[in-house]
Amino acid sequence: MANHMQFGFQDASSPIMEELMKFHDHALMTALAICSLVLYLLTAMLTEKLSSNTVNAQEIELVWTILPAAVLIMLALPSLQILYMMDEINEPDLTLKAIGHQWYWSYEYTDFKDLLFDSYMTPTADLPLGHFRLLEVDHRVVVPMESPVRVIVTADDVLHSWAVPSLGVKTDAIPGRLNQTSFTVSRPGVFYGQCSEICGANHSFMPIVVESVPLANFESWSSLMSS
Amino acid sequence: MLASRVFSLVGRRSISTSLCLRAHGHAGVVKAEEYTLPSYVDRRDVPLPEVAFVRDLSAQQKALKEKEKASWSALSAEEKVELYRIKFNETYAEMNKGTNEWKTILGGVLFFLGVTGIILIWQKHFMYGAIPHTFSEEWVSAQTKRMLDMRVNPLEGISAQWDFDKNEWKK
Repeated sequence: MANHMQFGFQDASSPIMEELMKFHDHALMTALAICSLVLYLLTAMLTEKLSSNTVNAQEIELVWTILPAAVLIMLALPSLQILYMMDEINEPDLTLKAIGHQWYWSYEYTDFKDLLFDSYMTPTADLPLGHFRLLEVDHRVVVPMESPVRVIVTADDVLHSWAVPSLGVKTDAIPGRLNQTSFTVSRPGVFYGQCSEICGANHSFMPIVVESVPLANFESWSSLMSS
Repeated sequence: MLASRVFSLVGRRSISTSLCLRAHGHAGVVKAEEYTLPSYVDRRDVPLPEVAFVRDLSAQQKALKEKEKASWSALSAEEKVELYRIKFNETYAEMNKGTNEWKTILGGVLFFLGVTGIILIWQKHFMYGAIPHTFSEEWVSAQTKRMLDMRVNPLEGISAQWDFDKNEWKK
């Protein structure tokens, strides 16, 4: 989850999110360089330290066409690299389904035994002391750590979106459609997210909580929940 | 080739148009009625306008122009200034001097920021209800402790700023 008044990304808990953070740094620096240049030129022109009565400018036109094209290529290549990285064939150890309803998520672990449960937000009035308002749920999505997990996301009624920023995951839940996403959680912990597609009155009140645990703990949780 | 011919059709007209915008307010001196006719303009990057500022010279000014044809050292300072004013409307100093417009603009911006602030304060005082109980100091400290116990954001975030051995924030 985010700290109070946090401005940047949460710490990455999956390799894809680490890549996304590096790319974001790169893209932001490029944007900063361009904006600084534009701001400088603007200030120079507005304070009348820069003016031009050139009317035929083939050379500079060539420069300011080629240079932006080069910048765009510098942005496109890492972006596409990460895009393809996300879609690599990765043989997940676990497949689970996340189904969006108004206004809760339901999860199905049907690889081995049939484990189905709903995940409702804990109302603010019922929160134990120190718990996170609008983020806690009654049943968390428990996954084994350091294992590739595939999530099939869909919805039962209207559009929703299953998002966990720390894992770099956001996948739309569309009725009648199965969207697939995958992640590998690098470390044990609890990772929070919120529904990311407007879905009605309680859209802000259907969070997602992913808890990654060692495999043994996952197995005992799975047995406990199935019984 | 085509580009330069297109320019000579479009560019000169657009330059003349923009020049004419500056030539307003010089009552009866030079009017910018026909954009394709030579016009007068006060611009730093057009130092020699197409026509003189004063078109119809009075008798006195005509005499002065005759005197100008002789040696210039015979002209007095006032005569030289008069000759300048016949040719040009403003001096470079007059052309370049700033206005006090920025004060008006800044004042307007600050005023509206103030109005917005008053609206927000009024809203907070009269309109909004109480904030949730999870903002109380007791809750926030329990919450922060729980975040540290759960190792939330342990790489560069909050759990990386807490010294777990000494039980205090890192210096």
